[in-house]
Amino acid sequence: MMPIWTKSGEKHAVTLLKVQDCHVLKYVPKEDSDGKTAKLFVGGKNVSPFHKTEAEMAIFKEAGVPRKQKISVFKVTDDAIIKPGTPLYAAHFRPGQFVDVTAKTIGKGFQGVMKRWGFKGQPASHGQTKTHRRPGAISTNKASKVYPGKKMPGKMGNIYRTSFGLKVWRVNTKHDIIYVNGSVPGHTNCLVKVRDTKLPTYKDCNKNPPFPTFFADGDEELPEDLYDEEVFQFTDPSVTYA
Amino acid sequence: RRSSDGEPAKFQPPPKPVIVDRQRQREERRFLSPEFIPPRGRTDPLKFYIERKDMIQRRKVFNIPEFYVGSILAVTTADPYADGKTNRFVGICIQRGGKGLGATFVLRNVIEDQGVEICYELYNPRIQEIKVLKLEKRLDDNLMYLRDALPEYSTFDMDMKPVSRLEHEEVPVNKLQVRMKPKPWSKRWERPKYNIKGIKFELPEKKMQEAQKWSQPWLEFDMLREYDTSKLEKKIWREVNEELKK
Repeated sequence: MMPIWTKSGEKHAVTLLKVQDCHVLKYVPKEDSDGKTAKLFVGGKNVSPFHKTEAEMAIFKEAGVPRKQKISVFKVTDDAIIKPGTPLYAAHFRPGQFVDVTAKTIGKGFQGVMKRWGFKGQPASHGQTKTHRRPGAISTNKASKVYPGKKMPGKMGNIYRTSFGLKVWRVNTKHDIIYVNGSVPGHTNCLVKVRDTKLPTYKDCNKNPPFPTFFADGDEELPEDLYDEEVFQFTDPSVTYA
Repeated sequence: RRSSDGEPAKFQPPPKPVIVDRQRQREERRFLSPEFIPPRGRTDPLKFYIERKDMIQRRKVFNIPEFYVGSILAVTTADPYADGKTNRFVGICIQRGGKGLGATFVLRNVIEDQGVEICYELYNPRIQEIKVLKLEKRLDDNLMYLRDALPEYSTFDMDMKPVSRLEHEEVPVNKLQVRMKPKPWSKRWERPKYNIKGIKFELPEKKMQEAQKWSQPWLEFDMLREYDTSKLEKKIWREVNEELKK
C-alpha cells in the first residue's frame, strides 16, 4: 500500500496489484453455461506443471498455456468474447475506471464471538464469575430452539470477500501494476480477482475502455505510466494554491 | 651552506604539497535517507523498486536536504487558508518515521509558551521548501523526551539565520544533556527500553536502580531480531546516486 496525492493536495491510500501471467483458458458459450451470459475462464500466476493429474491439466493443454495457480470465471457478454490463449495485461484497466476486487480474507482460525461478530461481552469486574467474553443468551424462551445461522464462535476468515467501487488511480504498463484506491481483502502477495464494478453509481464512469481487452501486439503504443487526470505526477513542481 | 665534505649542498627539492582530494572525501561520506531502506518483511522487492523510482523522481524536481534527528529545519508548505498561501514553520526534528513515500518527520517548537509539534510528510507535493538551518546530530534517535524537558530546550527563533558549515566536515554530534521537568512524565524515560543518553537524570540512585529491573539484557543477543542492512544500503545508495546524476 502506498500514498498517492491529487493535484489539489489531498492524500489517498492506494493498493498495488500486479497482473502476473494472466491468460484466457476456456470459453463456454451461452447455452452451455445455463444462463443468459457466456463464461470465460481466466488463469492467474504460473506454477509448476507437476503434481497434477492429466484430467486437470487438460484445460491448460488445450489453451497452450503453462499451468496456473488460480482459475476464475468471468460472466461476459457475447461481444466481449476473447480467444482462449490470449494474454491479459494491466492496460485492460484504465485510470478513472471503477473496479471490484475479490480475494480470500486473512484466516484468523477459531475465534470467539467478540472478535468474530463484534459482541460486547461482559464487564471485567463487579462480580462477573468466569464470564467476560461469552455470548450470553442464544435464544428466547418462546422460540424454544436456536435459529439456524445463530452467530457463534467458529473459524474466522479465509473466505471470499469483495471490496466494491474502488477507483483505479494509475496503471503501470511496463510492470503490469494497477493502483487501486483503498484497501483490498487478503494478505500481501495473495491472488486476487479484479472485475469492472457492478455498482449502479459508477455505471457511466467506464468511458471507452479497451474492448474486448488490451492486445499487446496491436498498434497502440502506451506510455509506461498511465495517470488519472487528478493524480499529482512527481515530474510536476510542487502544488500551490494561487 | 656547506656540507661536511666541503662540496656545495645538493639541491633539495621542496616537499611535495599534500593534495586533499575534496571529491573523494565527499564521496566517502555517504548519506542514504533512512526511508529508502525497505523494512524486513515478505513484500515483493518490486514494490520497493517502484516506490524508489517515484521517490527519486520527486527528489529530482524538489530538493530534500540531508538532515538528522536533532537538526533545526524550516519548512514552507502551501496552505489554501493562510494569507500569502504559504505557511512557514521552524523547529527541531524529533523523530523520523515511515518508509518509502509515506516517510514523515516531526518538528517541534515552543511558540508563545505553547509547545507545537507538526508532522510533515517528506514527499507531500504541498511542501514548497525544506531548509536546514542547523545540521547536527544528537545522542538519541528519538527526541520525544523534549516534551517533558524544560521548554528552553525546544524553543527556537522563527527568524533564525542558517548556520554555515563546510561541505566535507563530519556532522557534529551535540552531546547536550537535557534537564527535565519534575515527574510525572509522559513516558518513563529512565527505563532501559528507551535507552536514552541525552537526559541528565536528577532522580535518586534508588529510582535509577529500580528502573533497571525492566532491562532485557538478552535482547542484544537475539539473532532473530538482527537486520543487517549494510549490503542493501550500498546497493540502494549506488542506484539512487546513479539516477539522481542523470
